[in-house]
Amino acid sequence: MVSKLEAKNINVHYGTFHALKNINLKVKANTVTALIGPSGCGKSTFLRCFNRMNDLIDTFKIEGDMTIDGRDIYAKKIDVTAHRKKVGMVFQKPNPFPKSIFENVAYGLKVNGITHKKFIAETVERSLQQAALWEEVKDKLHKSAFALSGGQQQRLCIARTLAVEPSVVLMDEPASALDPISTAKIEELIHELKEKYTIMIVTHNMQQAGRVSDKTAFFYMGELIEFDDTSTIFTNPKIEQTHRYITGRFG
Amino acid sequence: MSNASRNRIKDQAFYYFAMACTAFALLVLLALLTDILSRGLSRISWDFITNLPSRLPEKAGIFTALCGMVWILVLTILIAFPLGVGAGIYLEEYGKKNRMARFIEINIANLAGVPSIIYGILGLQVFVRIANLGNSLLAGSFTLALLILPIIIVSTREAIKAVPKSLCEASLAMGASKWQTIWNVVLPSSFGGILTGLILAISRAIGETAPLIVVGALVYVPFAPAGPMDQFTVLPIQIFNWVTRPQAGFVVNASAAIIVLLSFTFLMNGIAVYLRNRWYKKVKF
Repeated sequence: MVSKLEAKNINVHYGTFHALKNINLKVKANTVTALIGPSGCGKSTFLRCFNRMNDLIDTFKIEGDMTIDGRDIYAKKIDVTAHRKKVGMVFQKPNPFPKSIFENVAYGLKVNGITHKKFIAETVERSLQQAALWEEVKDKLHKSAFALSGGQQQRLCIARTLAVEPSVVLMDEPASALDPISTAKIEELIHELKEKYTIMIVTHNMQQAGRVSDKTAFFYMGELIEFDDTSTIFTNPKIEQTHRYITGRFG
Repeated sequence: MSNASRNRIKDQAFYYFAMACTAFALLVLLALLTDILSRGLSRISWDFITNLPSRLPEKAGIFTALCGMVWILVLTILIAFPLGVGAGIYLEEYGKKNRMARFIEINIANLAGVPSIIYGILGLQVFVRIANLGNSLLAGSFTLALLILPIIIVSTREAIKAVPKSLCEASLAMGASKWQTIWNVVLPSSFGGILTGLILAISRAIGETAPLIVVGALVYVPFAPAGPMDQFTVLPIQIFNWVTRPQAGFVVNASAAIIVLLSFTFLMNGIAVYLRNRWYKKVKF
């Protein structure tokens, strides 16, 4: 079986800084992979390689093979914008557009040239339902997205991402700016989204990694130290460094 | 005397000094306004605004100058706005941030400080002579557009810089192209700032006299301009012309014209402040 996501000998440089060193990792479809490690270890960089967000940085340079569904995403013929549509991303801080709730979710469809009103309305409703936000906002779809709470805004951002029907969803510390109740909702949501999407999540919260993920990858100083089933990583890590990190003794 | 009480006295002294500075600036402005208003206010009437120029002060009006000014403003905005915003977008969003970019950045800031008469001489050579526009509204507008271009570019860049990066990333991550991101996310979020910059630039252009005299704005135009290739005059030139006349009546006219010009500037600045507040209320991050 072909892996959904695969990284082979990935090396990333920012100018002279060697940010990722020889990373190899395979992810199966419909799983949640947590990336953990201390700040600056390269986990966010790795995450952002999958939707080519690092291309925005002038000094970014990548070597190695990175594939989604067996296709090289850094191949010359890849259309970056079309690729990003297939790989959704949720950011650390909720970042809704200064538009209405409806317009936020419809944005991805509109920029991809879809104008069919009924289709857009249906997709918006379905996406908001998937993001468990529909019941809370169905009466105020045309109010500004800023009127929502932080947790609701983050679920709106998830709905917005789902609206363009990606097959992979990347999450960069999606709950770090939220209160515990909103965090619990996001985690519950991740569980449900696994049915349809392959999810990769960066988190600083060990318990969160333990709760939501199937596999966990531990990064340190740009290297992938250990990658295994989450239960193994948290109960019986093979490498001493991993053990020390997850028990809070460094990092 | 103890250290603490000496500090308290210094503190007090500085408070009064700062207040005196503010008062001085306001008093001068107040004196100017009272002087102008007491001389010119009685002269302002509908006739004064709609009359053509005349050699008799009580019959003379500012109609041609006002028309010329509105023409100049509209043409200048049409030229400078797309150029300035386009250049601002390029420098902020597309241009690589290297040494060349910093060099350009410094020079744009420098351009904003070049004396306006230099722009006039440039306009005279490039637009009036080489482009053969003659001493027309168009030549004047191009010259003023050059003059305010640096202000618009700088304010566009500042406004774009204030848009959170995460918003652009969110748009790009959904498969929007760079242009779609700029058009749908960056520009709507920064438009308040861009507009404010434009209006401030325009209110500077309103008061400019020197470059327009150099490119050949006339002091006496018998009729209001009807097209962009017509000859023209503007309010500051009309005022300049009137204060040089010996007759007392023209000095009164000049005061009245200054009131009109000042009202125009205040109005523009007022609009700028209003737009900024309105936009910032709507778009918060």
